[in-house]
Amino acid sequence: MSAPDERKGRGARFGTGGDTASVPAARTGFRAQTAEISHQVALAWYFAWSDTRARYKRSVLGPFWLVLSTLIGIGGLALVWAALMKVDAAQFVPSLTIGLVLWNMISGSVTGSAGVFARNATVIKNIRTPSLRISLQLLFQQAVNFVHNLVLVAVVLAIYPQSLSPMALLAIPGLALVLVNLLWVIQLLGFLGARFRDFEPLIGALMPVLFFMSPVLYRSHQLGTRSFLMGFNPMGYWVEVVREPIVGSVPSAFTYAMTVAMAIVGWWLALWMTRAKGHRLAYWV
Amino acid sequence: MARISLQDVTVEYPIYNAGAFSLRSNLLAIGTGGRISSEARRVRTVTALDRVTLELGDGDRLGLVGHNGSGKSTLLRTMAGIYTPTRGRIEIEGRVSTVFGLGAGLQPELTGYDNIVRMAMMLGATRGQAEASIPEIEAFTELGDFLKVPVHTYSAGMRTRLTFAVATAAQPEILLVDEVFGAGDADFQGKAKMRMAEFVEKSSILVLASHSGELIEKLCDTVICLSHGAIVASREAAVIR
Repeated sequence: MSAPDERKGRGARFGTGGDTASVPAARTGFRAQTAEISHQVALAWYFAWSDTRARYKRSVLGPFWLVLSTLIGIGGLALVWAALMKVDAAQFVPSLTIGLVLWNMISGSVTGSAGVFARNATVIKNIRTPSLRISLQLLFQQAVNFVHNLVLVAVVLAIYPQSLSPMALLAIPGLALVLVNLLWVIQLLGFLGARFRDFEPLIGALMPVLFFMSPVLYRSHQLGTRSFLMGFNPMGYWVEVVREPIVGSVPSAFTYAMTVAMAIVGWWLALWMTRAKGHRLAYWV
Repeated sequence: MARISLQDVTVEYPIYNAGAFSLRSNLLAIGTGGRISSEARRVRTVTALDRVTLELGDGDRLGLVGHNGSGKSTLLRTMAGIYTPTRGRIEIEGRVSTVFGLGAGLQPELTGYDNIVRMAMMLGATRGQAEASIPEIEAFTELGDFLKVPVHTYSAGMRTRLTFAVATAAQPEILLVDEVFGAGDADFQGKAKMRMAEFVEKSSILVLASHSGELIEKLCDTVICLSHGAIVASREAAVIR
């Protein structure tokens, strides 16, 4: 009698779209599924890109405000922190820049996640929408900002050259791991935030603390015996896994293991949530 | 080919007041257990559709009438797969096109052209298809150079022209339409009705919710009347069980 229960298991298609009504016969083949997924990804990308364009349409500097605000952040922190900790700018500034640029993407995704479905309520309530596409759109937006900020990383690395070895290429799989992790975070927190409206302010309140618990202003080995503190903060590993190869050390096997483990557990949770509650999302937002 | 089948479909909206929505009351419920939990966890619901049963196949043209809040829009959204029934079965075979909630995906800061692509893609077109539909939409909307400027400069009527044109540009199979007329000048109203009639002609199944008896009479051959979410009358009993 209860249709929703029968259809829960059909989430094999992209996101929740497949489990709300029976899938049209013509679209169930493998090729049709691939076409559907590529359509959803293209849609998320087009919306992320044009939203970014829209946001800066009337400003003179346009998207370079993103870069400028990161630059101001780095300048301020570098000045204060270098004076406080008496660290060597040539070592500290590159590490800070890479850390902060990464942190901006991570924190942007996490803070944006809790309200992501509520902000897209008109779409969710009027067009059948796979929830994962909405999450992907937020991730793409953050990735666009990240790529803009890479200009700063390039500039800083030009001023303070690092002896980049081929090992630095490890940053690329590291970045892929971070993106994979961020997507499940957005999806999972998105569902929680859609149902419980207290999640958004809660996450907003936690982020500053998590910032200081993340190895952005320092590197984790500087914590010495207290480096266990980082264990409470998953985002610390995500910063390390990308930054360490660039500033000259291979991330520890433990860092990789934690990052991969988080991705597996997180995706499992996010997909479980999507299957169990995807059909309720339109009622929540 | 196309088919819509609803059996005893009931849709209930949960109403989350601040209490039920908040984490606090849920945590409180865990902390205290028993007495408070039963109060804090209760979510009141509104029955928007009440055991609706109907069968539609190729060539069916169904009109939905009823007062405000009678469940017309909920029924359309359920058929579109947006709302999942809390009880009952629904089976849809065929690609669903919707003409309601016009303007989903509209970004007022962007130009009319950008928004045509955005909205069309949102409705299921690929980037290429969306771009290919531009000349035809240009011609219908008669917005001319306004398509090159941001949509926030448009009047309400101009915005309706744009969103309506995009929504009716696709090749529909199962077509679900909620009352969309009202804005726009008399000239546009006439054109919109003609375009709608052509659009409906291309579809295999039509479900149209409207308060306009004239429109329903013109486009539909069966009419059901909803009241408090239940079907209370139908003008052609053969189709409605």
